[in-house]
Amino acid sequence: MSGKSNMKFLYAGIAIALLVSALAPFLASSDPDGLESAAGGIIEESKMSELEEMEPAVNSPMADYSIEGMGKGGEVAAIAIGTFAVLVISFVFGKVFNKKA
Amino acid sequence: MHIPDSFIPLGQAVVYWVITIPFIFMSMKWAKNELDEMKIPILAALAAGVFAIQAMNIPIGMGTSGHMVGATLVAIVFASPWAGVLVLTLVLLVQGFAFGDGGITTMGANILNMGVVSGFVGYYTYVALRKSVGTSIAAFGGAWLGLFISAIVCALQMWFAGTFPLVPGLIAMGTYHLIIGFIGEGLITAVVITSIAKSRPDLLEDSFNAGSDRYNTEVRA
Repeated sequence: MSGKSNMKFLYAGIAIALLVSALAPFLASSDPDGLESAAGGIIEESKMSELEEMEPAVNSPMADYSIEGMGKGGEVAAIAIGTFAVLVISFVFGKVFNKKA
Repeated sequence: MHIPDSFIPLGQAVVYWVITIPFIFMSMKWAKNELDEMKIPILAALAAGVFAIQAMNIPIGMGTSGHMVGATLVAIVFASPWAGVLVLTLVLLVQGFAFGDGGITTMGANILNMGVVSGFVGYYTYVALRKSVGTSIAAFGGAWLGLFISAIVCALQMWFAGTFPLVPGLIAMGTYHLIIGFIGEGLITAVVITSIAKSRPDLLEDSFNAGSDRYNTEVRA
């Protein structure tokens, strides 16, 4: 594999990821996912509300892929920030672990 | 399928971390041995793509939605399930800490289900099917089965946790993820792998088949 075409792959990947980031807040279904849906269907209501009231172990800055008070724009930004964060972390990880360079 | 903190008691969540840490360690060892300057951009592109596509929930009917996981896709591209474990670990770390998607205590279970189980089942199903049915269908079948089996494992964990009853949990998780696996995992994986096979066949060359092809070419030469 050549380095040049791998960079092309990277740019294509970033373009697709950002396109998905921008579209997801408008196109993604807000229905509960498979696990939540299963939980809603088979757990007794009293227990379910108990589970829902429990605080997560860590409070996330952009819970539910949104930024407080920023609406849909905030959701686009949140997913784009996450995409870039994963991109940067993967690169840094790759550089650190790649001792052959 | 991101399990929140409240769904697994802390004691059990720790057990899943203990089971998962050796797999994370092995995936880092894979990175150390296999990643080079050429492959890092591919890994980064796939990780970013997996993160973004996981935000795109697809409606599957029954008031339910689901999204791609992506471990099988990454494993096929790198011809190693460890690559899938690595990418899902990175993605779940960011999702858990920055976005509250999946718990922190339950991250071990989530990496185990979505990275290890779906990646290993998906990749080796792909390898087993590839010679008889071709790359595209094998990628579809592997990704589909990988997601389905990881949902079954998740349902069992929910049962151990006392969160779901056994049979209804298996039926609900199994039904939803058969559909999510077909659309969200199988179809997308097949489309991406097929387009990579067409545009960058060299990327998939490291896979099993290529080994014997290369051998044949060398022998003939």
